[in-house]
Amino acid sequence: MSVSGILDDRRPPAPPGWAGFVSRRRGLTSLAGREILRVLKLWTQTVAAPVMASFLFILVFGLSLSGRIRHVDGFDYREFIVPGLITMAMVQAAYTNNASSVFQARFDRYLNDVLASPMRNWEINLGLSLGGVVRALLIGAALLLLALPITHVPINQPLVLAAGVALGLTLFASLGVVIGIYAKTWDHAGFVQNILIVPLSFLGGVFYSVSTLPSPWREVSHANPIFYLVQAVRYGFLGTSDVPVGIALAITGALAALTVSWSAWLFHSGHKLKP
Amino acid sequence: MSSDPALSLRGLTKRYDGGLLALDGFDLEIPDGEFFGLLGPNGAGKTTLISAVCNLIRITAGEIDIFGHPHRDPEARRMLGLAEQDVNLDRFLDVEETLVYHGGYYGMSRADAVRRAGEMMDVFDLRAKAGVRAPSLSGGMRRRLLLARALMHEPRLVILDEPTAGVDFELRIELWRYIRRLHEEGTTILLTTHYLEEAEELCQDVALIRGGRLLARDSPAGLLDSFEADSLADVYVKAMATA
Repeated sequence: MSVSGILDDRRPPAPPGWAGFVSRRRGLTSLAGREILRVLKLWTQTVAAPVMASFLFILVFGLSLSGRIRHVDGFDYREFIVPGLITMAMVQAAYTNNASSVFQARFDRYLNDVLASPMRNWEINLGLSLGGVVRALLIGAALLLLALPITHVPINQPLVLAAGVALGLTLFASLGVVIGIYAKTWDHAGFVQNILIVPLSFLGGVFYSVSTLPSPWREVSHANPIFYLVQAVRYGFLGTSDVPVGIALAITGALAALTVSWSAWLFHSGHKLKP
Repeated sequence: MSSDPALSLRGLTKRYDGGLLALDGFDLEIPDGEFFGLLGPNGAGKTTLISAVCNLIRITAGEIDIFGHPHRDPEARRMLGLAEQDVNLDRFLDVEETLVYHGGYYGMSRADAVRRAGEMMDVFDLRAKAGVRAPSLSGGMRRRLLLARALMHEPRLVILDEPTAGVDFELRIELWRYIRRLHEEGTTILLTTHYLEEAEELCQDVALIRGGRLLARDSPAGLLDSFEADSLADVYVKAMATA
């Protein structure tokens, strides 16, 4: 048996067409697979814990307050809060997963194994992002399954829901990769989560309709980027939102384009990744 | 053997953001199939040179070709294997997964990667630890896994950055055996080491560097002649004194 393997037959060239494209993307599928495997290996931490936390919000706030707050925008309060809570859990998971995975890979330097490989920069960027996306989708699906029997939340606009979720996950998965690259300590990655994402999520109309707020808080809420994502997802579920859904999707999409461009530039230039 | 050199550096310069000039117009050519040693004190630029070749740092100036391909091309990257000085194994993966995923990063199909990982675990006596995660392995096992990972995708040029640093005598002899066998099978090897006897024992050609510059390069016998020295250690001391 050869140590080097170079005396063995060389691997055949990639076939033409779609099969060739797929075979040339093996690096990407392997890296994405590694990120997903990490999520699954740590499932109690990465999936079960956030599902439980968000489900408790639905139970405690939805069931206890729905006796006092009868209807918001024509829906039972317990139904009204589900889209926002699912959104909040998903974007936090997408961000946290990628920030911690990328930071850990840099900290332990096993990212070098990926950076030295023949993968293209965009493949590395995408592969690292997909772990957070899958984790968020698992959490979102689990929460929906748990929430449906007790809230009967409808899905009135599935295409809008799919678009809102896709744009939101793109935005926060890329932001996680970016922060994972910039972070010098675990605290840096946690800081963005605790000081920015969590407060903006709570103030983004998850638990209330922004249209009920007095001025100037209503206007201030419109400066919160997560507000638009919550509105897009709520429209997908309930068919109602505080702003026109086109605007909500456009603003979320613009922010997603910004973070994707930022992470793409980091991988292209090597800034912060390569001394 | 290829007509292109395994590694060609032309005017390679690296200045870090803090201003440190780690490599200063470095030229080097390593023929296909050679066992090449790179010696120098800490801070000489050895790891910077390796990082530049492996696309792990941004170079300031110069060109790097691997078997005739610019070093950033996927084709060049596929022909290169690296075992870094520090153990940088993925803490979430076990031994077999470490090898299989690495194979995937380098474009191997899942079936080929699983087959090759099995071979590597047999060669490096890691089979019994196939399901053990890297942090739970002994130091010696981690070193062997690093080497197995570097060879997983069947590279034609293997860079070993101080592969025996901090390992006990028995493991060092064992690693020498693996590395010799690798070279006998036709792989080009670039080895950095602080152990001069290691370079003398293994390398066909040795370069001495300091301050990011090449001081001397020849076969161990040639260096002994030109420095009128009795041992490579003597050559090293004389070369560094004149730098």
